[in-house]
Order: sequence, then C-alpha cells, then structure tokens
Amino acid sequence: MHKAVPIRAASIVLGLLGCWGLDLLCRAFLRDSEQRLVVLAGLYVTLAVSLNLINGIAGQFSIGHAAFYQIGAYTAGYLAFFFYLQSPLQGVGWLLAMLALGMATAALAGLVVGLPSLRLRGDYLAIVTLGFGEIIRIVVQAIDLTTPAGEQVGGALGMSVEPRIRIVGLVWLFALAAIAVSRNLCKSSHGLALLSIREDEIASAAMGVQVAKMKVAAFMIGSAFAGGAGVLLAHSESFISPSMFPMDLSFIVLTMVVLRGSGAITGSVVAALTLFYVPEYLRGLKAADGTALTVTGATLVGWILAVIAAVVAVRWIAYQYRGPRKTRLAGYAATFFGALLVGRALGWAFSFFPALSGASYEVQKLRMVIFAASLIIIMLLRPEGVLGRHEFSWDWLARALRIRRPREAVG
Amino acid sequence: MSLLRLEKATIRFGGLVAVNEVSFDIRKGELFGLIGPNGAGKTTCFNLVTGMYKPTSGRILFEDRDIAGLPVARIVRLGIARTFQNIRLFGSLSALDNVVVAAHLHRRANLIDALLGDPRSMADTERLREEAMGYLRALDLGDVAHAQSRDLPYGKQRRLEIARALATQPKLLLLDEPAAGMNPAEKEDLADTVRRLRDEFGKTLLLIEHDMRFVMGLCERIVVLDHGEKISEGPPEHVRNDPKVIEAYLGEAV
Ligand SMILES: Nc1ncnc2c1ncn2[C@@H]1O[C@H](COP(=O)(O)OP(=O)(O)O)[C@@H](O)[C@H]1O
Ligand SMILES: [Mg+2]
Repeated sequence: MHKAVPIRAASIVLGLLGCWGLDLLCRAFLRDSEQRLVVLAGLYVTLAVSLNLINGIAGQFSIGHAAFYQIGAYTAGYLAFFFYLQSPLQGVGWLLAMLALGMATAALAGLVVGLPSLRLRGDYLAIVTLGFGEIIRIVVQAIDLTTPAGEQVGGALGMSVEPRIRIVGLVWLFALAAIAVSRNLCKSSHGLALLSIREDEIASAAMGVQVAKMKVAAFMIGSAFAGGAGVLLAHSESFISPSMFPMDLSFIVLTMVVLRGSGAITGSVVAALTLFYVPEYLRGLKAADGTALTVTGATLVGWILAVIAAVVAVRWIAYQYRGPRKTRLAGYAATFFGALLVGRALGWAFSFFPALSGASYEVQKLRMVIFAASLIIIMLLRPEGVLGRHEFSWDWLARALRIRRPREAVG
Repeated sequence: MSLLRLEKATIRFGGLVAVNEVSFDIRKGELFGLIGPNGAGKTTCFNLVTGMYKPTSGRILFEDRDIAGLPVARIVRLGIARTFQNIRLFGSLSALDNVVVAAHLHRRANLIDALLGDPRSMADTERLREEAMGYLRALDLGDVAHAQSRDLPYGKQRRLEIARALATQPKLLLLDEPAAGMNPAEKEDLADTVRRLRDEFGKTLLLIEHDMRFVMGLCERIVVLDHGEKISEGPPEHVRNDPKVIEAYLGEAV
C-alpha cells in the first residue's frame, strides 16, 4: 500500500466530519441571514480555488470566471423551471443531479473558452474571456420565458429556482472537493506538466507535454467547479438574476487569486475568505447606540496619513533594512503602534480645522473604498501574495504544533 | 542504418533562406556535429527536426518516416529530444521537477486518477520522481535537485537542460551549443558526459557547437553550414582542412 493512502483516507473522513460539524453548528447557532454568509463564503472559496487552477497553475490569464458561475446557476434555474414539478427526483436528490449537470454544462463552456487559449496569450486571452463573460450575462438577460399562467420569468428580472435548499455543509464539502482536486493535481506529475506550461510553453511542448490538451483540461476543470458553485448558489438563494453575476464579481475572484501567492491553493482560500468577510464586516459596523457608525473628516485624514506613513515604513524595513531579524520584527511592531498613535494624534490636531471636523462620513458607505485601499496596501507590502509560496499540509501543521521534528532536507 | 536523414530540407522566412537544401544522414549510435558561423542556420535545423518549424520543402526522415511538420510533442514521443541554446528551463520549478515534467511522458496514471489523488497516480508520480533523480545524478546534479532551477549557476543549468531532455528517453538527442559560456574545465567535463550519453545510455547525439576545438575532439562526423547551405561534411580532420570551411570561418579563430 502506498504510504499516502492512510493520510488520504483520514483527510477525507476529517473533511466529511468537519463539514457535517460545521453544518450542525450553523443550524444551532446562526440566524438564517448569517448562514447565508457562510454559504456565500464557501462559494467564493470554490470560485477562487477553481480560478487559481486556470490562472495560477496553468498560467492562462482568464478573467471571466463569473460567467461559469452564472452558467451553473442558470442550468439549475432553467432545468427546475421545465422539469422539477414532474421530476421523480426531489429535494437533495434533485440538487445533486443539478450539481452534476451544472458542472457538465460549465465544463462544456470552459472547453469553448479554452480553445482560444491555444492561440492567444496573456492580455489577448484576458480580453476574450472578459468578452465571453459579458456575452453570457447579456444573453441570459435577453432571454425571458412566459409561464402557462402568463407570468414572465428570466430576463433582467431574474427567476426563482425550485427547490430552496441551503445546506452549509454541502457547500463547504464542495469547496473542499475543489481544494482537494487542486491539491491532488499539484502533487502529481500532471500538475507539474501544467506548471511547466505556465513557465515556458515552448519548452513544455519540447518535453512532450500535450500543451493544448492540458490547457483545455485546466479550463474545463476550473469551469466545472465554478458551475457547481453556481448551482449551489441558485438553490441556496432560490432566486437568480443577471445582476448577481456582474463583472465586478469576476474581478473580485481574480483579486483573490492574485493575492494568493504563486499558484498556492492555501493562499487562494485565505484570500477568498478575507476578501469576502472584510466588506461584510464593515457593512455590519454600528456605533454603540445602534446608529450607523460615522467618522469626521479630521479622523479620516488623520488615519489616511498614518496608514501611508506605516506602509512606507514597513516597506523600508522589509526591503532596505539589513539588520538582525529581531530588530526588524521590533521595527514592525513599533510601526504598528506608532501608526495607531500618529493616527489618533493627527485626528485630534486636524479637528481644529473646521473644514475637516465639520464633515462626517458613514463608515458603511466608505466600505468599498476601504476595501480597495486595503488591496493596494497588501500589494505594496506583499507583492508575492499573502502567503507567498507556503502551502498547508499535515506535515506543516505537525511541525507548527511541534508534534514532529522537521524532516531532514533530502540531499 | 540511418536514424535521422535530411533530404534537401529548406525553410524560407520571407526573402531569407535560412536553411537551403541541406541533406545529411545520421547513423544510429553516432556522435554527429553541426557547425558553422553565427547565423548559419544550425538552430533552425534543430527547429525543423523537432517540429517547431515546418520545412518549406524537402523531407526529414526519422527511422525512415517523414516527420516534417508533425506536432512538437509527437516528435518527442517518437524519440527526439533537444536542449535550447538560450536555456529554457522551467524557472520557478526545482531542478528535480524540471526533469519530472519530461519524465511525465512515460506516465502510467491518467489525469482523472491524478485529480482524484488515486494511490496509483501517487505511486506513478513517485516512480517518475525517482527516475528523474537518476537522470540528475547521471549529470552530477543530485546535490541541487531541490534548488529552484533559475537559481542554479549557468553551467549547471546547461547540464540540467540535458538531464531534462534525457528523461524523455530519446533515441536521438540534439544539443544546441551545450558548452556555450562554460570554462575549459567545465567543457572537459561536458565532453566526458556527452561521450557517456552515447556509450552508457546508447544515445545517438547531434550537437551544435561553436567551439571548433570542442567539436573536433568529440564528434566522429561533422556537417558545416554557412548561410543556410551545407559547405562541407566528413570526419574532423577532413573538415578542418577544407578550404571552404576555412574561408567561412575567416576572421574567426579555427
Ligand atoms: N523565426 C524566424 N523568422 C525569421 N528569421 C529567422 C527565424 N529563425 C531564424 N531566422 C534567421 O535564420 C538565420 C539562421 O539562424 P539560426 O539558425 O538561429 O543560426 P545559428 O546557426 O547561429 O543557430 C538567421 O539569419 C536568423 O535571423
Ligand atoms: Mg543557434
């Protein structure tokens, strides 16, 4: 027996148990609206990990990922519209069937989009995928149907999707499946062949890699997972409309992948969760008395200046300072607390200027600005991605917890 | 028996005839040299043989089968592998992984097994990794197996290119200026390695080289190109004394 077999079995069992546990916890402790966020987070993770397969691992710059998500969702929507009532499959059985069909449809679309990648590179491919995404959205928007009862469905108004099934555990199980597939791939020689295409397509072909097949396969696998996520979204929300799949969504998912570090799956997951929850967190911010949290112009300008100063300082320490590691870490800490202090002090100082102290802003409304600014800051501080090249593994966890001594470097 | 045979192979780029009706014949087990001044069309010949370019006219026969214009990856499967003059390693991959990519040609597991993390796929990847390690050791690169290939010193990168090509298990190995940028000691080592590839691994070798002394000491037969045309062919002592060759190399040290 291969030595990885027990680890693989244990991972599968752990994954199943974890998702089941998560599901129980969510049902027990979270309101419906909060459960919805957990579902959406799982779907974002799936989207980020699946796009990482195309962009990060195969190196094909695709930016229309929301289209495959939408294709999955509408596959579920239309099939439910035409067939759910007469279907012998009901409830979860139907959902699983839709999951398979949604993945297949999206994979087919992935094949169609993957074909230009055989001829186009870099920015040209990016434009094609972006165009494809928009075409899908506009076509879906243009199609509407009339029910026997004379009701309009589809089109810009959207359509309801039967049945409504929101299972947190299943969504996360699907996300885990996307992660597992990416990881398995990366550990195999097939994954290395894909990476070699990213590195140098000509050399890759010269080593016998079937470049065309591999690229299209990456597109199809990545799209299939996005399509599956779309199916889960459709049934979880029980309603879909073209406005749920805007171009912004493609860009946010792309940002998640860009922030991940080179091809790293763990990084994609962390970035997806962060980018999903930060705006949600800011949206929910309230002042102590329950009203919307506001800040004055003085506070805002004070913080902006402090953050800029901190970014400059951190970059200087990271790239110019050559001293010992300890002083370096102390420098980061000093910068952090210094920035807090400076931010407050400047806010106080600026409050003497009526022009600044008079203006007041709701934090909620600033949330996308804060979000965008954080992205810029992350790119300034960690151009190599949030986690760089680090990847989660049981070995790494064991070492971190000091269960196992570090493995000797293989010479 | 001839392993590779070019029959009046010709390729034009617009008005330029980069390779003009070049014919030669490489026998199995030979150490064959392709030389000529800069821009003579040597690398272009490699590109024709490996399917990167399709000849405008003429035939390229490998084991008596016309391979002109077949897809690059197909030609590798038939048994021709190459290195690149301007090193083209997979920079962010480790030296070992570079070689695994080439060994992947002889995988037994399919993509589905790989995606599912099937134990067969894992075992297969491990087998390829061990095989790759063998090629690294054969080229004296065992100690840098886990270093990122772009961080390796120049001479080692050149040897890694050879290890990588070797891992596709070719019958014919094409080396494009393998000694370029090496110092005399490294060149000496390389010459030994090339001989070993033929004697121990049973490969047939076609190598392009700029350094005349290196080629003369190593190859059994040599073809000389100039301005895309074959101007001389034969054993080193014949080529060395051919007035056409001396003229072509005038101004360059022979
Ligand atoms: N793809 C191409 N397009 C146009 N010209 C080319 C191309 N490839 C090679 N050439 C030209 O063919 C000639 C031979 O080049 P090459 O085979 O690289 O010479 P070398 O003998 O130094 O390896 C040069 O003049 C080069 O500019
Ligand atoms: Mg050349």
